[in-house]
Amino acid sequence: MGGTTVRALDGVDIEIPEHTFTVVMGPSGSGKSSLLYLLGGLDRPTAGEIIVNGQRLDLMDENALALFRRKTMGFIFQSFNLVSSMSALENVAFPMQFAGITASQRNEKSKVLLTQVGLADRSDHKPSELSGGQQQRVAVARALINDPLLILADEPTGNLDSQSGTTVMQMLADLHKAGRTVLVVTHDARMTRFATHKIFLLDGRVVSEAEYQSAALQPLQP
Amino acid sequence: MKFFDLLRLVITNLNRRKARVGLTAIGVVIGTGAVVILVSLAIGLQMNANEQLYGIGDLSQIYVYPAYGGGGEVFISPRGGGGGGGGTQDIKLLTNSALQELGALPSVVAVIPREFLQANSVISYKKLQTYTGMFGVGTNDLADFGLKAEQGTTQLSRSTIVIGSRVAQNFMDFNLRPGQEPPPPPDLYDQQIQLTIFKYDDQGNEIRKNYSFRVAGVLSEAGSEADYSIYLPLEQVKVMNEWANNTRINYNKTGYNEVIVKVENPDKTLEVRDQIIALGFQANTMLDFVQGINNFYQILQVVLGGVGAIALLVAAIGIANTMAMSILERTREIGLMKAVGATNRDVLSLFLGEAAGIGFIGGLGGVLVGWLLGQMLNVVAIVYLAQQAAQQGGIPPSVAVYTPIWLPIFVLAFSTFIGMLSGLYPALRAATMIPVLALKYE
Repeated sequence: MGGTTVRALDGVDIEIPEHTFTVVMGPSGSGKSSLLYLLGGLDRPTAGEIIVNGQRLDLMDENALALFRRKTMGFIFQSFNLVSSMSALENVAFPMQFAGITASQRNEKSKVLLTQVGLADRSDHKPSELSGGQQQRVAVARALINDPLLILADEPTGNLDSQSGTTVMQMLADLHKAGRTVLVVTHDARMTRFATHKIFLLDGRVVSEAEYQSAALQPLQP
Repeated sequence: MKFFDLLRLVITNLNRRKARVGLTAIGVVIGTGAVVILVSLAIGLQMNANEQLYGIGDLSQIYVYPAYGGGGEVFISPRGGGGGGGGTQDIKLLTNSALQELGALPSVVAVIPREFLQANSVISYKKLQTYTGMFGVGTNDLADFGLKAEQGTTQLSRSTIVIGSRVAQNFMDFNLRPGQEPPPPPDLYDQQIQLTIFKYDDQGNEIRKNYSFRVAGVLSEAGSEADYSIYLPLEQVKVMNEWANNTRINYNKTGYNEVIVKVENPDKTLEVRDQIIALGFQANTMLDFVQGINNFYQILQVVLGGVGAIALLVAAIGIANTMAMSILERTREIGLMKAVGATNRDVLSLFLGEAAGIGFIGGLGGVLVGWLLGQMLNVVAIVYLAQQAAQQGGIPPSVAVYTPIWLPIFVLAFSTFIGMLSGLYPALRAATMIPVLALKYE
């Protein structure tokens, strides 16, 4: 844009082992969301390789990427991204429609997941009838519907009050304990309590925790 | 994505924006409604015209004439008369041998020469007189022309004639004073009528010759020239023409002026007509006329359908606009769909389905509106046209606007297709959105 090239990520070389809870920390514009979208196959790198579960995402075409996302990824977004006209149950079941699963199977599995996130009694409610925390729990259930290998959460507590944020964090931690691989991009330092791995980003580069802390504590220039 | 899931999603999404979908669909309703009513009107007019044309003549008859060459001048060079000078043009005369040639064509069941009475004449019955066409026909039975007798017979014999159904109505009393009630049409069946033919000698003196005929039959209404014609044997007309024109007629030399070829059924008419033309004669049929009229009405259907289609085009732009707006508003939803595994094809199908859905809903409304308006118009128009027919004579129409079953089906399919076509560009834009940009769209 505007003729200036911005490198959102530069020289990032990371490995995320299976069954880990990875927290990516960084200030606004550090490239943490870009990292998540690249890992999730929602964006393409201009250079470099992204390998998930042995597959080169950077070499896949659009169709292959869509199938890859459907089978391998579960996304949780800061703004929930629920479809306003659909009930909680329909929102949870939504990804399965594209997989060609029958309606009865979709509903059955969605009900189980809504029960797991504590919203069994809200399955017929529209997003506008749910609180922020409840909406994010619906989004968590939706992320799990296709049994993904990797759960990617982009600022999942960013739009939530402290209490709801903690609930969602705990939920992600429980998923990790259940054997799933979770990667969370966040500002929220509380999330690091659950992390098995931490990645710190500054200006598109991976830095050490010490460098990240010192940058965070650096006084503002007058 | 399964078809029924797609359908359900399309219906859900259309249901989400009822007002907008409804308003857009109204445009389609107007367009398709216009197509339905205008094409129905054209079809109704065609049916009406065909009803009027029905019986205009037997469609299995071909009227054959000698083929005169171009250039306006006629050179007669009888067949077989070898060595005609350079510059003469052969014309194919309707001689008796030519008649045999025509009779030998496949599907031909009768070849009948017909001659007009070529003389000044007046036909009288008591104080009433008429001037009407008299034909001499080379058959003893008018049934060969497909004509039926209302009274008496269709058989012709010497000193009898057979008259058309409306001939009696044309008998008038020319001595009637102004204000005097005209007499009712006479019943001429089995009555004697007088035929007087005239010619003039070299000094300009009128010479008359009188004939008396018994009306052996009155024909049923045929809806053609036969209704106003008087038929008598060909030989009789030949004698009258010879007297009136002071000539001797030898049909083997000069040929007949007109021959009617009858084929076994109207399906063969055009085929035989072409074969006759190939033999070198002029030939035409009432079927040409009817087909010409039908072609005209088919063009009318296309033109009127086109007028309606313009309204549909405007509606299509409305659909494109609605879909473009919808896609803009639902950019994040599109991003989400892609994030959870929808392929470009899934997204394309969904938005094309929604656009087609608007076309379908509008088409359904248009078909209903068009059909209802057509029915209303039918009621009004039939009454009006029946009044016109009563005043001017003619067959009252049974239908003014006619919607055949294929029309609503076609219009519905067409409006759905137009809807889909209108949504193609917005849907392609949606399908090819980069997921990350769609998700970040504010």
